[in-house]
Amino acid sequence: MRRPLAALLLWSASAHAELVNFDLSGAIYTKWLYRNNDSQGLLSHGNPFWPDNLSGDNGVGSEFELGIKGRVGENVEAGVRLQSRFGALWQDWWENGDLAYDEVNTSGESLGMNHSQYIKLRGYYVRASLPISWVDSLLVGSSDFGMFNEWTIGKVRFIDRDNGKGVFVQGTLHPEYFRYHTAIIALPKLFVGPGWSTGIGDPNIRNPFWSRDLAYGLRMDSDVADGTRLTLIGTHTRDSEIDLTDPDAVGTIYPTCQDDLGNPVPGCEPDGAVDTYTRYSNSVATLEAQVDAWSGGSFNFIGGYSYSTVDPALAANGVALNEGVFPIPFGDFHGTFAKARAEFFDVGVSGLSLKLEYFNISEHFVTIFGARREADVLLTDGFIEGGQLPTLNLANEFVDFDDAWVESIVGWHGATALLEYVGDVELRIEETFLGYNTNAQFRDVDTVYPTFLHSDGYTDTDLYDYANVLDRGRDPRSVYRRFQDRLSSISVLSALFHTGVGEGLDFGVKAKFIWDSDGREGSTTEDDYLGLLTRAKLWVSYPFTLGMQVTLGSAFDYWLEENRRGSPEQGYGDDTTTKVRPYIDFRYAYQGFEVRYSLEYLYKLHERERDTDQKFHVVRSKAELKVAW
Amino acid sequence: MRGLTLTFTLFATTAFAQVVLKDPKGDDNGPGGYTYPTDSVYKPGTFDLTEVTIEDAGSDLRVTVSYAGPVEDPWGSKGWDGNGFSHQMLFLFVDTDRKAGSGHKDGIPGLNVRFAEGSRWEKAFVITPQGKRRLDAEIASKAKSMQKDIVVPKSVRVQGRKIVAVFAKGELGAPAATWGYQAVVQSNEGYPSKSDLLTRPVNEIKGQHRFGGGHDFNCDPHAIDILAGSAKGGDDEKALQHRALKSYVCDDDNEDGGKRVELEMVTP
Repeated sequence: MRRPLAALLLWSASAHAELVNFDLSGAIYTKWLYRNNDSQGLLSHGNPFWPDNLSGDNGVGSEFELGIKGRVGENVEAGVRLQSRFGALWQDWWENGDLAYDEVNTSGESLGMNHSQYIKLRGYYVRASLPISWVDSLLVGSSDFGMFNEWTIGKVRFIDRDNGKGVFVQGTLHPEYFRYHTAIIALPKLFVGPGWSTGIGDPNIRNPFWSRDLAYGLRMDSDVADGTRLTLIGTHTRDSEIDLTDPDAVGTIYPTCQDDLGNPVPGCEPDGAVDTYTRYSNSVATLEAQVDAWSGGSFNFIGGYSYSTVDPALAANGVALNEGVFPIPFGDFHGTFAKARAEFFDVGVSGLSLKLEYFNISEHFVTIFGARREADVLLTDGFIEGGQLPTLNLANEFVDFDDAWVESIVGWHGATALLEYVGDVELRIEETFLGYNTNAQFRDVDTVYPTFLHSDGYTDTDLYDYANVLDRGRDPRSVYRRFQDRLSSISVLSALFHTGVGEGLDFGVKAKFIWDSDGREGSTTEDDYLGLLTRAKLWVSYPFTLGMQVTLGSAFDYWLEENRRGSPEQGYGDDTTTKVRPYIDFRYAYQGFEVRYSLEYLYKLHERERDTDQKFHVVRSKAELKVAW
Repeated sequence: MRGLTLTFTLFATTAFAQVVLKDPKGDDNGPGGYTYPTDSVYKPGTFDLTEVTIEDAGSDLRVTVSYAGPVEDPWGSKGWDGNGFSHQMLFLFVDTDRKAGSGHKDGIPGLNVRFAEGSRWEKAFVITPQGKRRLDAEIASKAKSMQKDIVVPKSVRVQGRKIVAVFAKGELGAPAATWGYQAVVQSNEGYPSKSDLLTRPVNEIKGQHRFGGGHDFNCDPHAIDILAGSAKGGDDEKALQHRALKSYVCDDDNEDGGKRVELEMVTP
């Protein structure tokens, strides 16, 4: 019960006086993860590049979090979240770290701290409603950045929800016509920037100076008429580095203002101040109109502009040096996007809606701090069902096999029509046509445009591996190709029948067909890609008791891909992929006791013309138990 | 028929096709002093009820709830089997027999309201972002004595600033013009207190996810907006709402003591 602990009367009067101002909350989360392989750990997909100490497919572990909130004054609130480190297995009795002794040691102890399940201060904030007429609240500390949008500064993923820190002011100049948010946000040093860093590990940076790397945001809302809201958002992200020619800088190359020959360096003079340069900056602005004034429908229009600039002297070119694995095109780019969505309610029949969407994202739209996952900006089911987002800086890591994947829509140009019915049957029929602003010939993917190394083939998120030793197809971030002339369509039919049998037997079916063509190099048809990708799913679910839902189902995939993978020199091969994935899913909730168990068998046969066939028999499961109070 | 905007499309004295209950804008402050939580997801007007429409839809009842503010889904409700929105929660209480002393006197746990003797309710329709599985489990656990009279929707959909919920008419039968209605607006709380039916508390001081302007004990009504007066949406209904929700008394020595407000039905 999250309320002042006035009931803790067992404490002394003075202790009570101190505790009455505390609002405590807690949660314990436990995960069981198993698969018929020999890896040990608690996370299906961990760090994509560096070995971490929690990834693996077999293990059970727990974490605990404690939230504490308190009142400083009538209009001032403060709070923290403490959380134990996740990653230690239940089997790791007595263990503190994951480092073995150099010599034989049977004590069971280990070195380090990574498995000690230590409690870390994850988030902290102070929020004040100040008696200033144009300021509603001031927040200092943790935020999930949910006040902006997916195109500018995205809401951070759930596991990072308190990690981001900044100073945020929210206010009102006119309750209807002018409300605003401002923010100054400390950049996370490990994912916002060229090479997913603000200088750490960059070979061009000798002294990464991340403590002044910041993002700035401004959001303004205006209800210009009843049911019509305009929202303008502007953000600027800036990664600064010190000027190593400045004699005042740590590690300066001119400490005495003389060059290697002893000659004075022009303009060099110690002055007790250190100059900085911008290693990378990204500015994004969006203007959105939401119109809900008409009872028969609603309309949304959003457009935006981005500017991305990188200093090649301060940021290594990962496109060239990291095999095309890089979160931005390397250089200075202006980009734009526009999206318009119309939704018409009760079209002919109550519960039937028609949604239409047009979208056009330029090939150079860049948002380094945009939403990375757990969001979706397009109506379409997409190639990957988890969501479509306008950045190359996606986060498909630190997820389990059953978590949703997201894909980049940079360069997408197309339209979606979606017919939905909600009633005893939930019906969804979608048709999407896609062209690509990234279509080009002789695109420079050696020094400018990242390809993420793997641009060909339909992405298999069921059996994904970062190094692509399993031939899992296109990286969801790969939107550029040296030769591309691509056109696609996505057709989806899904239906969920609430049969009313017993306590509520539901029957579901979903079928998706993707037609994906790429003429690749325009001077030949030898390399033309054609993917005919069929995906289907059937399931039944039943609530055997209150709070319980048991689902039995199976997914079926059949992919025919002509010239799926290869090169003009090596030639291309036609591949056929067959997958069957029967599964059972169990969910139960009772008085804050929430448990989920999922078990699946995955059979995959990948028949490859140019390589040996691949066959997979995977059995895996995941269970989660969460209690919160 | 006092005070209800009533649209008859059936010429019957006791059955109707549609009832429209209006509520003024700008009264999403409970007894007058309630304030929204401080987190930026709670946008102005989010809990400001403007209209409830109850329609006879054959074997179903269709309830459409309109708000002055946006109906949004920043917490990704589809990820937790939800209904496509995150914040608004509405309880529509119906007094079908209009008999004093008949029906439930207590409101839903977490609302901290009761009903006047002549306004006891027979059925309560719940419209929430939570899916049926979670809602059924919470009702069975926290409102056992009322379980058979709390009606969970068959389907819920969002239409702009409206939420449309379809309920099986079932044993309730065709709606009658003699029914009384009361709507209580709350906010969906995914991590509720152990006795609250997915409702968000009102405290003395507002917090990141707590309404403010009330009391830390369970004496104050956790009702952000209700129907009042003639349910025509006139500004006079703001004062009537404030008066109705102010009539509680707290006991500083007993967290669950004091006297709770007693709501009246709005009746045709």
